[in-house]
Amino acid sequence: MIRSLPAPRWAMLLSLVILLGCIVAPGLAVKHQDFKTCEQSGFCKRNRAYADNASTGTSWSSPYELDPATVHFKDGMLTGVIVKTTTTNEKVRLPLTISFLESGAARIVVDEEKRMKGDIELRHGSQANKKRYDETEKWTIVGGLEVSKSATLNAQSETGFTNILYGPDDKFQAIVRHAPFGVEFQRDGETHVQLNHQGYLNMEHWRPKVDKDDEFGEDESTWWEETFGGNTDSKPRGPESIALDITFPGYSHVFGIPEHADSLSLKETRGGPGNHENPYRLYNSDVFEYELESPMTLYGAIPLMQAHRKGSTVGVFWLNAAETWIDIVKSTAPSNPLALGAHSKTDTQTHWMSESGQLDLFVFLGPSPNDISKTYGGLTGYTQLPQQFAIGYHQCRWNYVTDEDVKEVNAKFDKYQIPYDVIWLDLEYTDDRKYFTWDPLTFPDPKGMQHKLDETERKLVVLIDPHIKNTDKYFVSEELRSKNLAVLNKDGELYDGWCWPGSSNWVDCFNPAAHAWWATLHKFDKFKGSLQNLFIWNDMNEPSVFNGPDMTMPKDNLHHENWEHRDIHNLNGLTLLNATYKAMLERKKGEVRRPFILTRSYYSGAQRVSAMWTGDNQATWDHLGASLPMVLNNGIAGFPFAGADVGGFFHNPDKHLLTRWYQTGIWYPFFRAHAHIDTRRREPYLISEPHRSYIAQAIRLRYQLMPAWYTAFHEASVNGTPIVRPQYYMFPEDEQGFAIDDQLYLASTGILVKPVVHENTHSAEVYISDDEKYYDYFDFTVYQGAGKKHTVPAPEEKVPVLIQGGHIIPRKDRPRRSTGLMRWDPYTLVITLDKNSEAEGTLYVDDGETFDYERGAYIHRRFNYRESVLSSEDIGTKGPKTAEYLKTMAGVTVERVVLVDPPAEWKVKDTVTVIEDGAKSASKASLEFYEQDGGKASYAVVKNPNVGIGKTWRIEF
Amino acid sequence: MRLPQSLLLLAAAGSVAQASSDKPARPRGLGPEFAKFYQDSTTFTCISNPSVKIPFSAVNDDYCDCPDGSDEPGTSACAHISRNSPLTVADRPGNHDLDIALALPGFYCKNKGHRPSYVPFQRVNDGICDYEQCCDGSDEWARVGGTKCEDRCKEIGKQWRKQEEQNQKSMTAALRKKKDLLVDAGRQQQEIEDHIAGLEAEIQGAEVKEQSLEADLKLAQEQDRKVVHTGKGKGKVSALSKLAKARVDELRNALVDVRHQRDEARERVKELEDILAKFKVEYNPNFNDEGVKRAVRSYEDYAAREQGTDGANAAVDRDLDEISKADGEDNGVHWEHWENEEDGCNDTDLVYKLAAYLPPSLVSFIENKVVSVKSFLEENGILPKPDADTSSESKAVTQARDALKAAQDTVTSLKNKLRDQRADLEQDYGPASIFRALKGVCISQDAGEYTYEHCFLESTKQNQRKGGNSVSMGKFSHVGTMSVEEVNEAGEVINVEKMMIEYDRGQSCWNGPSRSTKVILECGEENKILKTAEEEKCVYSMLVTSPAACASGEEAGNVVPRSKDEL
Repeated sequence: MIRSLPAPRWAMLLSLVILLGCIVAPGLAVKHQDFKTCEQSGFCKRNRAYADNASTGTSWSSPYELDPATVHFKDGMLTGVIVKTTTTNEKVRLPLTISFLESGAARIVVDEEKRMKGDIELRHGSQANKKRYDETEKWTIVGGLEVSKSATLNAQSETGFTNILYGPDDKFQAIVRHAPFGVEFQRDGETHVQLNHQGYLNMEHWRPKVDKDDEFGEDESTWWEETFGGNTDSKPRGPESIALDITFPGYSHVFGIPEHADSLSLKETRGGPGNHENPYRLYNSDVFEYELESPMTLYGAIPLMQAHRKGSTVGVFWLNAAETWIDIVKSTAPSNPLALGAHSKTDTQTHWMSESGQLDLFVFLGPSPNDISKTYGGLTGYTQLPQQFAIGYHQCRWNYVTDEDVKEVNAKFDKYQIPYDVIWLDLEYTDDRKYFTWDPLTFPDPKGMQHKLDETERKLVVLIDPHIKNTDKYFVSEELRSKNLAVLNKDGELYDGWCWPGSSNWVDCFNPAAHAWWATLHKFDKFKGSLQNLFIWNDMNEPSVFNGPDMTMPKDNLHHENWEHRDIHNLNGLTLLNATYKAMLERKKGEVRRPFILTRSYYSGAQRVSAMWTGDNQATWDHLGASLPMVLNNGIAGFPFAGADVGGFFHNPDKHLLTRWYQTGIWYPFFRAHAHIDTRRREPYLISEPHRSYIAQAIRLRYQLMPAWYTAFHEASVNGTPIVRPQYYMFPEDEQGFAIDDQLYLASTGILVKPVVHENTHSAEVYISDDEKYYDYFDFTVYQGAGKKHTVPAPEEKVPVLIQGGHIIPRKDRPRRSTGLMRWDPYTLVITLDKNSEAEGTLYVDDGETFDYERGAYIHRRFNYRESVLSSEDIGTKGPKTAEYLKTMAGVTVERVVLVDPPAEWKVKDTVTVIEDGAKSASKASLEFYEQDGGKASYAVVKNPNVGIGKTWRIEF
Repeated sequence: MRLPQSLLLLAAAGSVAQASSDKPARPRGLGPEFAKFYQDSTTFTCISNPSVKIPFSAVNDDYCDCPDGSDEPGTSACAHISRNSPLTVADRPGNHDLDIALALPGFYCKNKGHRPSYVPFQRVNDGICDYEQCCDGSDEWARVGGTKCEDRCKEIGKQWRKQEEQNQKSMTAALRKKKDLLVDAGRQQQEIEDHIAGLEAEIQGAEVKEQSLEADLKLAQEQDRKVVHTGKGKGKVSALSKLAKARVDELRNALVDVRHQRDEARERVKELEDILAKFKVEYNPNFNDEGVKRAVRSYEDYAAREQGTDGANAAVDRDLDEISKADGEDNGVHWEHWENEEDGCNDTDLVYKLAAYLPPSLVSFIENKVVSVKSFLEENGILPKPDADTSSESKAVTQARDALKAAQDTVTSLKNKLRDQRADLEQDYGPASIFRALKGVCISQDAGEYTYEHCFLESTKQNQRKGGNSVSMGKFSHVGTMSVEEVNEAGEVINVEKMMIEYDRGQSCWNGPSRSTKVILECGEENKILKTAEEEKCVYSMLVTSPAACASGEEAGNVVPRSKDEL
């Protein structure tokens, strides 16, 4: 046909074809066929159908009833039995426990009696554990389970309901409806969370497989074996999913449930314009070249969801480690046209579905985002206080190819005077991909390399993955097999799969014995060539299995105590982290340092032991933009030590993208550049001027603010607050800001950043919620005006940063080679005043490496500026090591105070009075006033007040 | 060489310091060359910004007052004054729009017992003894956190002097070697030039000879025309046999060429098959890359088809060997017999009769070809023109023609040689054509899993240490220069022009360009690879030392009289 066309048209057609080819061919795309959709996941499909039936079936009612005769309430715990009536009128007993916790959280647990008793039969002669998995708590929960002593039965419960009053001042109430079973959670008499309001509660009870040719019975096509991607899941326990609808009445925004490459405010998932077609999925997977704005699963899972509306945040935590899907639908009741000014009310309905395990749910009633962070952190643990170096800049690449290469990169950073703290080795450092070994040709002298790094207090991080090369003459493999510490297949034999080293076995860190063994491998005498400044990167711990379904293990694989992989999948990564953390603590007696571990896979609790990154992203502007909501979302989900690969992992960023990425990356709590093996080298010093300077400036800005960052990490480690925070978290009353996820706040420092994430863009629209003044970080230009966007210039050398009025920000302005070498440098305090001419800030300092802070070896100060007096007040608690630490820090002072926008009458002032506790007399320090115009605020600088950072003092202006 | 120069400077500076030792001590960390700015003991004027004046007591008070940092030669207080810093207006209050540059190169370490040196301000009092620049430990004078840097200048200085002596020796040796290279290169160039001169003379002679032979031929031809032709070789058969002989020769040559091409193609196929076979074994079948899987499946199908033709090929090859031999009495057609045939049978039959004189192997070959040969002959009007005058020349003419031909060939060949030599002379062999002397010299270096090899002006290679696989990283392209970034002692990035030899058209990369290498040359006593790096996928850089890259030496009368420009 083409041949008969006249030449020009033919040529046009051809070029069109080529053009289309160009668009399609080189573009990276996730391999959708490798990962399940809801339709391909039997239990998701069944539960969606169940929900559709419940919503549309007129004669339908939820078959779950709480037997009133079984209900007991004692010591903050309500117990009872839910009875499920099946289509064949069988009664299934499902024991229920609702605990009301001291923290204000409520916990609902539902199990299946037959399974608890082990009164079921498994198909295929399987050895799998017969219980519903009930140990997610064991890996995840570290506290906060104290039952409330004040929770009481509400005597005024209506018939058919059991109401419990709990929480602070009994402001919370759980209204338990017996038939059908459901719970409503109220705060101050208003309902915020409803369980089984839609009637989607579904607990697939155990049943024997009965061969029948009855076409009219239930659709059993997904009950038994399921095949995907050439792998067949034997499902020895048949269908066993759990599902529940959770409604947030009056809430139109829900956040959380990382990890997804999507907006912070989660989208609806049942189709329609702008919505997703599939539910958000949580099934930790190694997704190659993942796509953006997608509900597809990624590497990690935190089943914590927050619902937010003006003035109220509530949350739910779905404690289940099996594959989980979450549908979200928002329904808006039409507003009454007669009620002037009344907003239409939007409810958010969520539908949670997990393949197996107990139903175990925590409900948090807020009311502030901070309350959720605090309560959730109380349960799963707060983020670890990392070593100082871990907050510095990490230089990574797949791969630095020799020990000499590493030393050269190290030297180049110093030559170009760009600070960095950590250099990384991806898997090629190993001898033939055998972890705990070094390639003898390329890394003949690992110790020499680490010594060199240690000269400037720099660190090395090396990759250690859970897949162990299945080969003889490799001590790790031999020990793994001989000690029976590996994951088994469904028949109870050693499971063998493919990963980087080829044929591999996986260490089963659900087994406590595996932890003990793993610890031995990390000892300096076992991991030969490792020194104390070596830390660990645990990658591929989803686990990634190249020939497995969903790129991971078969679900019928068996772990310790015969739990199926299906039951524990999302916990798998975390168990490895726990093992590595313990191993790092035990490397050498008497030399305990805070471990540093980077993980790709995670679950609730991983924040206690690791940092995470968003996996294998791409060098595109879109991926740069997507990194912000991803990092922010991790922060509000209790795992704030997060970052994305600066520069993008796949492909080569041009210098513009790379520059903007550094300017963005310095605001990730975890700040690491990384690149694929096929990309060009892109260490910052290789970039041509002027972009090299722009990048260096960005990195130095990170280092300058290191005191503020470390303080933010400390705050996260005791309160669970995010280190970088989204708009809604800072201004929970401002509805206009709820969906904003492209600007962020650095903890409570008042620093507001709007990174430029678009090509050829030289200004930023920064949204300001309140009517405080905001000052440009660099030139003090004033921006003011609540509830609108302000245009901030952003030429390529500049990242738009504002400081809200009312803050005192601690900085260290002297550029050094690494964070360790900044230890003795003096501080600069930058003060911006609020409407009342006041300001506040905090500073936390410790040795940045040991656990001595637990025994008081730290400085914790609150700075206040009020009525023209700047003061430093001790907010720490003394411990046995406090005095000794303060002595070592005695020489560290404040060298400078910059006060932005001072009162005009200061023009004539030239000194301030400095009064330090313990000093014999007050002293003077010079003050200079500098006027600025053109919309820029004036500023005053106090020179060398010479007050100790660990001391109590006042500066009177 | 930058090293001796800066040494000189520092040595001079040292003597100034000594001469002025009776004056008040210089501020800490200040180099003697800047002492003049610090004479006034009441007021200090910032060096680059004289409008800014501060009390002298503010010098080295660990607080940065000057926009150029000149008030803090002995502390790190002004280390942030740099284009690498995120400066705010308050960092240089009132002066933030002034140029961002430090007036001083760094903290001056006197390093008594060794040579003085500057250490960047950012390293002052950071708790690390930077002995490399500051062997006297004076950079850590504040002893932050209890840091104590003992003076190691005595031992470091001693070691350095020893090293420096060695360097000097090595440098002298390098220059001597360079001299030798220049002499070699000059000689080789001279040889070429001599050769060219010789060739030019030879060509001249050959051309004269050619002209005279041309005249001889003309004469012989004229003579010939006057003679009535009798004798052998007359007739159609003879004429046809000559044509056939030419044609057979032509076919034979073509056959030899085609066979050669076939052999090359076969080798390439073999190479590709080997690559694919290895690929099939080594690829990770579970990596879920559809493209790779498809490629492997296609290869498996292909490999299953290609079976058992080797034996047959050997027989065919033996036949072809026979065919390829030149004709003669014992082999192929004895043409002379035919050339002298008076006349004969039917012309068309004749072509078939040829078969009788051919070896059996050729017969089958010819039989296949005969139809096409025949039609070729007919198409070219050879067979249908039985009456054409194909009378033969006299022996004298033939001889004259042959002689002329030979003379012409000689001239062509000489001219080709001349062209090559001239091209070689015009080729850039670096300054004073020095690399002429190194052409073909190979050096190698073990680095990690590879051994890298560089053969001057020929090629670069990457040889696997395990397995021995060798990959071409490029063939010689040209000699040139290249700008390389270096950081000077003040920490400034400067561009340094370096000699460079480029190699390209190396083995192609999977999904990438063909490999290429830039060999960057530095002065050194030995020809030695210091470092090989893959700058980006399949683009390599190699740092090589060579006496050829040392500065100076050319002017010492070693240079060949004629430079490239005069050519």
